[in-house]
Amino acid sequence: METEPRKKALQYFFEKIVGPMGFKFTPDEELKEFLLEQEVTLEAKHGIPFCPCQPIRRDRARDMQIVCPCIPFHREHFDALKRCWCGLFVHKDVTDPNRLPQLPPKDVGLG
Amino acid sequence: MGEEFLRAIRTDEIAPGGMKTVELNGREVVICNCGGTYFAIQRRCGHMNAPLEMGTLDGKIVTCGMHCAQFDVMTGGALSGPVPADLGNETPPPRIATMLRNVALQMQQVRTESIRTYETKVEAGWVLVAKP
Repeated sequence: METEPRKKALQYFFEKIVGPMGFKFTPDEELKEFLLEQEVTLEAKHGIPFCPCQPIRRDRARDMQIVCPCIPFHREHFDALKRCWCGLFVHKDVTDPNRLPQLPPKDVGLG
Repeated sequence: MGEEFLRAIRTDEIAPGGMKTVELNGREVVICNCGGTYFAIQRRCGHMNAPLEMGTLDGKIVTCGMHCAQFDVMTGGALSGPVPADLGNETPPPRIATMLRNVALQMQQVRTESIRTYETKVEAGWVLVAKP
């Protein structure tokens, strides 16, 4: 399997999922390419494109909550941050993702 | 001398996003209607030979209905291998569990190959496919 075509395929499928949820791919192209590449690597290894910034715990119920795009499982936190944890997706109104704070759930009134 | 094309199917026989199998020159070919652009691919999945027209076509990506291997219908390139079996939290009966383990062991050895594509063109309401 080649990486580049798979990255494009993941992008195609993810866009259709995250768009209706109010998210888009980060405008930081370098970060987007890097994260998608990591997901392709994880998918080749595990058969599933897990979030590249989260540990796989071998606990199926928990691991399924970090399958990209994991927005539905962590929606409140991501909405507060205007981005997902790894930064692959940001709210549609975000133009400069580097200015978004990364705060733990308790700092945004969660958990 | 130019490539020989064969009449495969009428354009109005497949709705956009649909697929249909035809036999051309003794070979099974799936015609894919990707939003009005037609592509022709080999029928058999590059993973375990399942009939691809029984899967789904999304954009220019076909997903096999058997193990969800994906292919680009423009190039035939394999985009992903099979997805892992999902048994959720259910524990299957021991005999079934043993069988599934054996199948999984064998499937680990199966490489997903790219599939063959054929050139297409549309003429007078027909999709023509380069002779396979």
